[in-house]
This record gives sequence, structure tokens and C-alpha cells, in this order.
Amino acid sequence: MSFINYSSREINCKIVYYGPGLCGKTTNLQFVYKKTNPEQKGKLISLATETERTLFFDFLPIALGDIKGFRVRFHLYTVPGQVFYAASRKLILKGVDGVVFVADSQIERMEANMESLEDLGINLAEQGYDLSRLPFTIQYNKRDLPSAAPLEEMNKLLNTNGIPWYEGVATIGTGVFDTLKDIAKQVLMELKKNY
Amino acid sequence: MVAVCPKCKVRLKIADEKIAPEGSRFKCPKCNTVLLIKRPKSEAAKAAPGRQLDKTKVIIAHADASVIERVKAVLLKAGYNVIASTDGVDTMVKILRVLPHLAIIDVALPKIYGFEICKRLRERQETKGMRMVLVSSVYDKKRYKREPVSLYGADDYIDEHEIETRLLEKIKAPAIIKEKEAPVKAPEGTTAAVPPPVAPPSAPPSAPPSAPPAPRAEAPRQEPAALKPAVVAAPKADDMVEKAKRLARIILSDIYLYGAQKVEEAVRNNNFREAFAGDLKEGLKLFNQRVSEETRKKGDFYNEEIANFIETRKKSLGIK
Repeated sequence: MSFINYSSREINCKIVYYGPGLCGKTTNLQFVYKKTNPEQKGKLISLATETERTLFFDFLPIALGDIKGFRVRFHLYTVPGQVFYAASRKLILKGVDGVVFVADSQIERMEANMESLEDLGINLAEQGYDLSRLPFTIQYNKRDLPSAAPLEEMNKLLNTNGIPWYEGVATIGTGVFDTLKDIAKQVLMELKKNY
Repeated sequence: MVAVCPKCKVRLKIADEKIAPEGSRFKCPKCNTVLLIKRPKSEAAKAAPGRQLDKTKVIIAHADASVIERVKAVLLKAGYNVIASTDGVDTMVKILRVLPHLAIIDVALPKIYGFEICKRLRERQETKGMRMVLVSSVYDKKRYKREPVSLYGADDYIDEHEIETRLLEKIKAPAIIKEKEAPVKAPEGTTAAVPPPVAPPSAPPSAPPSAPPAPRAEAPRQEPAALKPAVVAAPKADDMVEKAKRLARIILSDIYLYGAQKVEEAVRNNNFREAFAGDLKEGLKLFNQRVSEETRKKGDFYNEEIANFIETRKKSLGIK
């Protein structure tokens, strides 16, 4: 649910990067941060605690324009991927406007991908969201690794609804902005429908 | 063999092939007591060599019916008797029942992945010699083509688009004498009154000694055939058990992922459970939240997976 700040004439949207542990969510955000114009972005803030890591930052993509005179500010979040931290993930998903699911392409992480996707569906449902109706995109990350599963198999297992997906090598930025642009576009379209 | 429930004294007839070499757990249909059934020593000793791989039979396991048809067309022409299966649980059951000499398995098979099946079959006495070929689908035949690093115990792999051209070469097909489909022979020592199993055992066949008990039989009977654990297993229950095991494996792989060095040190020092007591407790909390009580009653899957994890790490570290 986007937050409208009337005094600064801004609409704030929340995009959450979701996925199993060490799949590259933080790497995606770090790359975006590194490549974004300093005037367009807020501070990269780490909310890491002693036992878990998560990351938060916001930035203002001017190129995406205004909606009825309001600037759109995107807040990008990652969740702690470790299966233990279900409670943290639930918390971070509150008020989400769009989700990027970052899947680890390594075949040995396929179970973790599936589990994480199921976890996402459960956590969203608990908050009254339906994943199939929410702006949602998938990034198959770590495509450069030799044990990467074929994309067709990954789609078969993780993308049964045939939603947009991108290949990623987040460490060098491949697919990072394509993924972000896609989710931002979906969120903006939702906003335009509702405002 | 016939076993007697120590609590209600009901006589239970159990097909020998349902009993793993190290013993299997079954639930008494009358009083629900969980029994650990082991074969008598002499029987256990001869059981494994008593079952041979069937040279005429091949199993093709794939979620996509059109792929099954393509593989069948090639293999039938070469004279094989082909058995088909569309999910992992059914594949394991059929393989252990029929013991085909060759298994062609989809990597991303539903319920149990193909690579997971290969690993499990390699660990079992009766199937460790089976030839296994993984089927991999390829999105773009050239751009994304990569040689797999590990085949997870399989002998070879084949890409979907090569089935017609390279399957026979991959399975190293010898001249096969076409035979009539033979009925499945009951293994030695199976009591005649017990029919050959037709449905999955409640636990995946490679489950360790503390495998979960089979679902309860419909009505307790005094007759010897009262207990047919293999016949009454509901596929849905198997799914839940598989999911529970998967969750436990992911909890452990996460522990490893975020602290590989510390885990390896603990495994070397034989104190993994103590060193990671906090993480394991946290993981158990999550496991108990996610897995229904009904499924948890079927076995201690969390602890089984911890034991498997320690064993696997020991093997990879070369510790006996």
C-alpha cells in the first residue's frame, strides 16, 4: 500500500526483494545503489542485527515521472533470506507494493527457492495479499555459475503463472536494472489505476 | 513375515520388501502403537542379493506426458519393457517394486527431484548398480548450454531435444531380447497371503532407520492380512512428509550456508548438535510452526535430517 505525502507531494512505494539465503538480494540492491545518481537516492541503511542481515534504502527515480503532480519515491527493501527469520520477513512485507523474487539458479538451491516462494505466498496471504494480483517479477540470479539450472526448468518449478522473469548476474549488474524497471513499471501502473 | 503387536497382541502380516535392511516402522492398525520391525538376521542377510535388477525393464519418470511418449517410442523400438511415472514418490515406489535396470529421470520431477532420487537409489543396496540417466530441459540449445558439474550419482544426462538422436547411445543399449511383460515377482520370503504392494510406502524408500510409520489401516483386524501399510498410504500424506523433510533440509543448509567453516569444524569435533544448539532450536521452532502435528507424528523428520546432514558433511570431509 503506497504512502502519499501531501506536504512534499510524494507517493512512496515499497518494493521488497525476496528470496532464499544468499541468493543475491543484497547484491542487487548494492548494485542499484552504486549506479544511482547521488541526488536521486537516499542513504543506504543497513538494519542488520547481530544474527541477521537485511538492508534498506530509498531513492527517487526521476525518470519514472510524476503521477498527477506527485513524485514517486521507491523504497527498496531486502529480507533476511535464511529460513529461520520468518518473523522478520513478515514484518518487512507489511505495506508492500511490489515484490521481486530473486531465485538462486544453482540446482542445489532449488529446494530453497521453492520453500522461499511458498513462504512468500504464505506471508502475503496472512496480510491479505494475493501474490497473483500483486506487482511481481522474478530474477533468476547467478546465471554465470556452472551449476545453474536451465531456465526452462526454473520456470517450470518457480513460475507456473508465467510472470515476467529476468536472468541476472547481480555481482556484475546483469539483469539488475531490467528487473527493477519491470517491477517499478508494474507498481506505477497499479498506482495509476488507483489514483 | 508375521509380527505381533506387543501392546494389543494383534498379528500383523507385513510384506518383506516393505522392511528396509535396517528395519522399518509401522503403526499397528488396532492400537496405533508404532512398531520397529526388523527382519530376522538370516532373512536380512539373504534379502538383498535375492532381488536382482530386471534387465528387460526401464522406467521413464517425467512430469511431461509428451516427453514420456517420446522416450517410450525410442525404447519400445529397442525392445525394452517401459514403465512410466510422472512424479518422484511414484517413481521411487515403482523402482523399488520392479527394480528396472535403467532409470531415465527428469531432473525437475515433481514431489522428489530427479537428482535427489538418483542420490537415494545409489545409497540403497538393491539399486546402487542401476544405470541412471537424468533428463534435462534446455531453454536455448546453444546460449545457455553448460556441462553440469555434478550428476548427483546418475551415470549420464541427456537434454530433452536429444531424446530421439542420442538416448540409445546414452543408455548404452545392448541387444535386448524382447520378452513378454513378466508379472512382478514377489521377493523371496514374502508370505503368500500378502499381495504385491501396489502403492507407496508411507516414507520415501530411502528413509533412514527411524522412517515414519505408515498411515493407519482402515479397520483393525485379527486376520494375518490386517496390516497392509504399503497399500493404504495416501499420496497426499507423502507430499506432506516430503515437504517436512525439505523444510528440515533447508534449515540445515541455511545453517551451513551462513557458517560453513564453523559447521565443518563442529562436524570434525563431533559436536555439531552442541555447537549449533541455538540455531537448531530456532529451526525446530520454525519446523513445528510449519509442519502440521499430524505429519510430525509420522516421524522425527527434523532429527533424521540433522543426522543425514552430519553424515553427508562427514563424508565430504573424508571423516569415517
